[in-house]
Amino acid sequence: MTLAGHYSYWVTMFLMISGLYIVIARGNLVKKLIGLGIFQTSVYLLYIAPGKLIGGTAPIVAASFSTYSNPLPHVLILTAIVVGVATLALGLAIVVRIREAYGSIEEDEILEKDQAGEDGR
Amino acid sequence: MIRDLVLRVIAKLLIPFVLLFALYVQFHGDFGPGGGFQAGVITAAAVIFYAIIFGLPAARRFAPDWIIESMVSAGVLIFGGVGVLGIVLGGNYLDYFVLAHDTVHGQERGIFWVEVGVAVTVSGVMLKIFYMFAGRRRDLDQA
Repeated sequence: MTLAGHYSYWVTMFLMISGLYIVIARGNLVKKLIGLGIFQTSVYLLYIAPGKLIGGTAPIVAASFSTYSNPLPHVLILTAIVVGVATLALGLAIVVRIREAYGSIEEDEILEKDQAGEDGR
Repeated sequence: MIRDLVLRVIAKLLIPFVLLFALYVQFHGDFGPGGGFQAGVITAAAVIFYAIIFGLPAARRFAPDWIIESMVSAGVLIFGGVGVLGIVLGGNYLDYFVLAHDTVHGQERGIFWVEVGVAVTVSGVMLKIFYMFAGRRRDLDQA
């Protein structure tokens, strides 16, 4: 296998690193959640890509097919997608509450308010 | 509510096709990419689209909270019911083979009802999450 032959892994790595970068570098909490979503997508790809066989079809027994893709990673990732949706909903709910308590979703402004509160006491 | 005429007309034109596409994805799920999860999300997206264009109260008239909440549990009930039906007809839990006179038809019938259950629950949960986020301020003010 050549370097280009592993292109699905290159895409996975690119998505994973860019997602991680967004989570770390952006102060906006909604953008952080978007970064988390991109990171999760890279993990889905990491699992699904090795399960695909070239020329393979969905694993339903039929006379005209003999090659089937591995369904196990797909089922695993279906669960991961559902968990991802639940995490996103939970994260957004927390962001909504933070917005109500602090009036902002920028991390530095929230920290500033926290520090000011501590000094005032 | 958005008063832009173009958006309102296009929304009314598009929503039936979005729902039709959801049905296509739903019934295509037995043989290829598709199935209950995707169809449920597309159905919910159609209602969310309607809510964005025509306002949340209009969407709540079309799909009231009690229907959404019953959908969340009804889908699980359908899924579990198919499983229990397998036991009643003499197989194991979620055994599709016993649902029809021969194996292949039993499989088709079983996966169809399981996908229906998944679609109902997923669209219910999606709409519930959307209603809770979108109606948060309003519900607090009314309470």
